Amino acid sequence: MTGAAVRVDRLEKSLGPTRVLRGISFEAQSGEIFGLLGPNGAGKTTTLRIICTLLAPDAGSVEVLGFDTRSAPQEVRRRVGVVTAEIGVYPRLSARENIAYFAELSGVLDGELRRRVDAVIERLDMGSFARQRAESLSSGQKQKVAIARAIVHDPPVLMFDEPTSNLDVLASREIRDFMVESRGRGKCVIFSTHVLHDAERLCDRVTIIHQGRVVAGGTTAEVRGSHRELEDSFLSLVEAAS
Amino acid sequence: MRDVAIVFLKELREILRDRRTLTAIALAAFASPVVLFVISQVSVRTASQTYTVGYSGDVPAGLDILFSATSLKLERVDDPAAAARQKVDLGLVFSPSSVDEYYDPARQSAQIADIRFQTILSRYDAARIAASLQEKGVDPSILNPLPLTVHPLTSPAQAASNSFLGFFLPYILITMCLTGGLSAALDSSAGERERKTLESLLLTPASRGQVLIGKVLAVSTISLAAALASIGSMLIALSQISFGITGGRSEHIALSPLAALVMTWLAILLATSFSAVTITLGTLARSFRQGQAYATPLYFITIFPASIVLFIPDFNPSLGYYLIPILNAVLVLREAIVHSTISWSALAVTTASLLATGGVCFYAALRLFTREALLVRS
Repeated sequence: MTGAAVRVDRLEKSLGPTRVLRGISFEAQSGEIFGLLGPNGAGKTTTLRIICTLLAPDAGSVEVLGFDTRSAPQEVRRRVGVVTAEIGVYPRLSARENIAYFAELSGVLDGELRRRVDAVIERLDMGSFARQRAESLSSGQKQKVAIARAIVHDPPVLMFDEPTSNLDVLASREIRDFMVESRGRGKCVIFSTHVLHDAERLCDRVTIIHQGRVVAGGTTAEVRGSHRELEDSFLSLVEAAS
Repeated sequence: MRDVAIVFLKELREILRDRRTLTAIALAAFASPVVLFVISQVSVRTASQTYTVGYSGDVPAGLDILFSATSLKLERVDDPAAAARQKVDLGLVFSPSSVDEYYDPARQSAQIADIRFQTILSRYDAARIAASLQEKGVDPSILNPLPLTVHPLTSPAQAASNSFLGFFLPYILITMCLTGGLSAALDSSAGERERKTLESLLLTPASRGQVLIGKVLAVSTISLAAALASIGSMLIALSQISFGITGGRSEHIALSPLAALVMTWLAILLATSFSAVTITLGTLARSFRQGQAYATPLYFITIFPASIVLFIPDFNPSLGYYLIPILNAVLVLREAIVHSTISWSALAVTTASLLATGGVCFYAALRLFTREALLVRS
């Protein structure tokens, strides 16, 4: 593939009276983990929601694999999988039924459905609880269901919005391993977090946003610069921009 | 349409696993026959119950026979006026030239005893007058210059049956169409936000309109099933209860095929409209509980037009009345049950009105469903 998988260009967005985004631009490539970093309220979630077409931008544009989010939202949604900290599942459906429901709505055809669902259950090691009702699952198991439903249609772009914030150490590690594995499979992985330790370990490139503006961007090493850790660099950049 | 079917089947599966909804439907289905059985027993008992008449003085000859024939038990008392306050149902003071009656209209038993007494007294008076005329050689038929022969087109039992169904059926139909699917509607709208599945659902390529249609259809199916189960169980129960004997045969309440057809059609329309309304309210709410609070006024809005007609006998509405949702369904259904007829123009206006109501609510739900504020608030 040539060009960026996700291209965000001078994005602006207000929610009510608050200007959340003030001209955000960045590009994320296939086969990389791209970190979207910033303190709480910086505009990370709003940016991701615009990329996946849940919100419309006030100005600027977003393209996902060449499809504009405004003119071709359904094409964009077909190519994007989103995992958030909110691991809401349908409690009266089994883990397997939850995944199959989203697979069907994402366009996976009946003949392909069983194979796809089986594959994702095996890949995420969910066999032991796949037939259990979601209401009886642990948080870690529910998070796996949330990941499975986001990737069951095999989207080329994966977005993770603070995916580990409600999870224990083991479940968090599985998510990180999954992101690394997805990068290895050529996916474009966008990782939004305020946990800079995770970002430093995982991301190939990062963009730091603060108060709706990009304050730094580049490879992790470039953004870290002369600082010992990315966190130090982040703090000095945010302080300078405040 | 594939996405509509996917959402419909998933919602139905979830609803059928929801104990709240299933319990509500089961209770409604069992409650109707029980309530009706109690009502029928009370009615039969009231009709055959003996009431006590406290009297003083001498009861005219012949009148005492009429008293016992109409289940009025005579009991001599010192002060009929005082006794009529509590001890007996009716107090009578017989004097040679007149009768004084004492009764408390606030007591239902006194009202019934009064009606029975008035009836036997008029029969007694008529018989005495006829006897006096005959003694004087005058033909008693002179008192009845235009004899009337009544030919009822339906048996009294059938008339009572129609009146009974005309009263209860629209009420149960409307109540069940609303409440049968309410829990499911709130669960599939407010519940999506509460359990935080809404965002994931809206992230799929499925169009929001199709998702919403699937939800409305699933909730409508449950509402319809609840209404038909409730009415079906009621009719089965009524078929086992005798409401009179005509020509040596016991009569039971039954719904005519026309009324059954009209009722099913109206149930489909009402269930669809109510589903769209309740899903709209649920979409406004952030949680199931908040959705219930929003839906509470809906009970009054729906039950009021259903009830008001019951208190206006022989209400003959113009076509304009059929534009009013719910009221129109009650009027059409009552006409089909009581008179076994149907006005096609009234049914057409009713159908258009209910479809328009459902359509407007569906549009409102769709607008709400696609509003950014929905996600931002959640």
